[in-house]
Amino acid sequence: MAKTLRKITQLLEPEFMAKLDTLDVLSRKIHHGRLQGERRSRRRGQSVEFADHRPYVVGDDLRFVDWNIYARLEQLFLKMFLEEQDLTVHIMVDVSGSVGSNISDQAADMDMREKYIKKLAAALGYVSMVNNNRVTMSTFANGVVGQLANMRGRNYLPEMAEFLLSATCSGASNFDSTCKQAVSGRIGSGIMIVLSDFMFKEGYEQGLRRLIGQKYDLYAIQVLTPDELEPKISGDLKLVDIEDSDTAEITVSSALLKYYKRNLSAYCNELKEFCTRRGGVYVLANASDAVETMVLKYLQRVSLLH
Amino acid sequence: MEWLTPLSGIYAAAFAIPTLLLLYFLKLKRREKVIGCTLLWKRAVQDLQVNAPFQKLRRNILLLFQLLAILGILAAIAGPVLSLDTAPVGRYVILVDHSGSMNATDIPSSRLEEAKKQARDFVESLRGESFFGVKDNADQAMVIAFNSSSKVMCNFVSDKKQLLRAIDDIKPTDGKSLLKETLQVAQAFAQSPGVETNNRSSLEPAKIVLFSDGKIIGVDDLAVGSDVIYHQIGKEADNLGVTAMQAKRSYEHPEEVSVFATIANYSETEQGCDIQLSIDNNVKKVKFASIPPSGSTELDSKKKDPGKVSVSFSLEHPGAGVVEVRCIPTNDSDNDFVDYLAADDAAWSILPPPKKLSVMLVTEGNPALESAFGACPLAKLEITNSNVFIQNSDNKTFEDTAADYDVIILDNTLPEKLPRGRYLIFGEPPEGIGVEVTGEIQNQTIVDWRWQHSLLKYVDMNNLYAAKCVEMTLPRDAEVLAEFNETPAISILRRNGSAFILAGFDVMDTNWPFETSFILFCYNSMAYLGTEMDTLDKANMLVSQIIMVDDLISQKEYKIAGPDFDSEKLLASKTGAIRFSGTERAGIYSIDIPEKETKIFAVNMLSESESNIAPANNIEFSDKEVAAQESAAGNSNIPIWPYLAFVALILIFVEWLIYNSKMRL
Repeated sequence: MAKTLRKITQLLEPEFMAKLDTLDVLSRKIHHGRLQGERRSRRRGQSVEFADHRPYVVGDDLRFVDWNIYARLEQLFLKMFLEEQDLTVHIMVDVSGSVGSNISDQAADMDMREKYIKKLAAALGYVSMVNNNRVTMSTFANGVVGQLANMRGRNYLPEMAEFLLSATCSGASNFDSTCKQAVSGRIGSGIMIVLSDFMFKEGYEQGLRRLIGQKYDLYAIQVLTPDELEPKISGDLKLVDIEDSDTAEITVSSALLKYYKRNLSAYCNELKEFCTRRGGVYVLANASDAVETMVLKYLQRVSLLH
Repeated sequence: MEWLTPLSGIYAAAFAIPTLLLLYFLKLKRREKVIGCTLLWKRAVQDLQVNAPFQKLRRNILLLFQLLAILGILAAIAGPVLSLDTAPVGRYVILVDHSGSMNATDIPSSRLEEAKKQARDFVESLRGESFFGVKDNADQAMVIAFNSSSKVMCNFVSDKKQLLRAIDDIKPTDGKSLLKETLQVAQAFAQSPGVETNNRSSLEPAKIVLFSDGKIIGVDDLAVGSDVIYHQIGKEADNLGVTAMQAKRSYEHPEEVSVFATIANYSETEQGCDIQLSIDNNVKKVKFASIPPSGSTELDSKKKDPGKVSVSFSLEHPGAGVVEVRCIPTNDSDNDFVDYLAADDAAWSILPPPKKLSVMLVTEGNPALESAFGACPLAKLEITNSNVFIQNSDNKTFEDTAADYDVIILDNTLPEKLPRGRYLIFGEPPEGIGVEVTGEIQNQTIVDWRWQHSLLKYVDMNNLYAAKCVEMTLPRDAEVLAEFNETPAISILRRNGSAFILAGFDVMDTNWPFETSFILFCYNSMAYLGTEMDTLDKANMLVSQIIMVDDLISQKEYKIAGPDFDSEKLLASKTGAIRFSGTERAGIYSIDIPEKETKIFAVNMLSESESNIAPANNIEFSDKEVAAQESAAGNSNIPIWPYLAFVALILIFVEWLIYNSKMRL
């Protein structure tokens, strides 16, 4: 236990975890859960919250007969309660090569985005699990490469930490096939959180279209490094794509940087518009910012957490 | 394979290869950088490229340098020429004097080398063909090397390489400088279209560019017509040279050899010199002579004649040999005299072996002649009757018989043909030697005679009276020694390898046999024909004269050796004759004849005009006076493109340095 706890602390500091304990995942839609949980469901079922009465039919559980009404009216009525169900939270973590890379030359920043994404995933997973939600965590690159399904409760924290820490960022990404796999393997509806840089050459639209729908509440969190947001490079460079070794020969000039930034903001805006138009939420994260700020401020603001 | 413009290629390569390497390095310098995704960068680059034409030229020092470098290269390709002398496009005849005086070493190496250098500079300054082959604006030039003859080294072309090669091919000679033939040749070429016609009018006057020391014989009766640019080569006049030399055997005592030589001093100071006589390279005698400075004997100070000293040697030499007279200036410590011309320091003469003459006298009976020649010291005197001689002249063996005699005296005898030989002819001259007999005239007295000539030495002809004589017209090359009132009396003529002394009268029709001068004339004529006429063999000759050897085996190869070449093969003609015209240098030439003894020829400079190496500032042609150019023929058109290319290279280098320093930032 001590070993696994040490592992979760590698991702989340205890103080941060304490703050996270006060939060819960909020779904803007009411989803059907599978197990009894802490969330109101549309279904009638077992809970303390009364919903309605209905006449007794043979075979109903006698425990739910409203004996007070029987005493008054001598008719058997059944008390019906609003069922409280759990919420499925699916966190998809991008572990393709691009996540691990950084344009900056400084070694300290090398895996800035990777750390950020894993920490954020851990925080979200933590919040979800401690509130008895069902958490499924997937890592993806060229398809889903690893998955921890149906975690619930604090007991799963070490396992989740181990899962995240052991994931290595490498390989090409194929977002569409990833989404296909994720959707086909998923049972039930819930919250879908995608943590990625969303830099997919084949496009993110097809993949996101699969995730967005009535069943899912999509949160697309795009994590970009400071060097992607504000490149600090100069000279004549041959840029090599870490995933497919594609090259781009550039001569850095202010004009080029201007066009780069213009393209970047256009890309992010397109993604945002794509998500919001389909009822999803888009969040842009700077990997150099603290994960705490992200979780405690921005995610509350977009109503993912409360 | 031939490289027409190897230098251009080298320049281009020298520029292009380092540039290429630089660009290669620049390309290598593109740093590789791994990033997460090139997606946005590619889009940015595309956007940039799409918008590039509309971008303002940013202030970019690298761009500035690149632009300047490219401008430099482009300007270099355009072939700019810094024209210090903006002459119009023209045709030039480059005349390079390669006569004897141009071998003077008062200019380092020699005057000829300097002349060639200046001629090369001149050629370089011509407007050449541009890179893109536009020839219309190119100057044309031809190169002629001249001494007493002219040699066209290169016809009118605008290809500088060809002209430069032609100039390089000019070799030094010891000949005299004459311009007449050269100008004729130049004008002939100037009026005919050159190798590269280019629609250029052949009437366009060609300018003459003369590289010479100005010592050109006979320019004052020469009209040049076109413009002459005269580049004077040479500074000093100091020279000591043998200007005349003769070696001959005494007629009376054939073993005795007399050598006469004249040494001339062209410097301003009196100069002592040792005159060394050697036979077959063995020094026999040395005499010291002090030669007065030039101009000392002349009243007219403008036209300076050299100081001259004549020396004579006499010695006994029983065999044949090559006589050499050499003057060696004695250098005193307080005298800085330098003999700048070496070619005229020595003169040679071929000395025939001593021999007394065999003489045939053909006469119908002439006691005066018989007794006069009988008194001469001859090896043999054969007296033949005229009729027998004429009859024999039809025989096949006649030539061999005649060849046994050194001299044949014909007294009123006219055979139909004469074999080669030396003749003294009294009376009517034979036919076929170019002398026209116009009739007979009477009562003639001598009006003039050349008493200085060795044939008439001590001969007083004052009292000679001819009752009748032959009236004749001589060809132009005949040498008239004595004249009657109306016709030549005694003359010398050389024809077809034979020599004739013509006396157009019968001695019996004159009072001459009673004069002492008659005996002296007979003696002199034998001495002259026997000794001096050895020049018939042409063993002693001047530079540029043709060596002629007959009676060789036809179509056989013979070897000739000369002072400036070791061995050259000569092919005898079908008639068994060899003609060698390459006697351009003074010295000894020898033709190896295996079946006979080796023939030796002495080729001498012996030219006062060439020994006088003082450069002339002006050349006075008959129609104009041409002054020497004040400055040497420099390259008036300086091509700038190599400098531009160099600047471009530097700019590219600087750009590279700046680029590198930026890369490190």
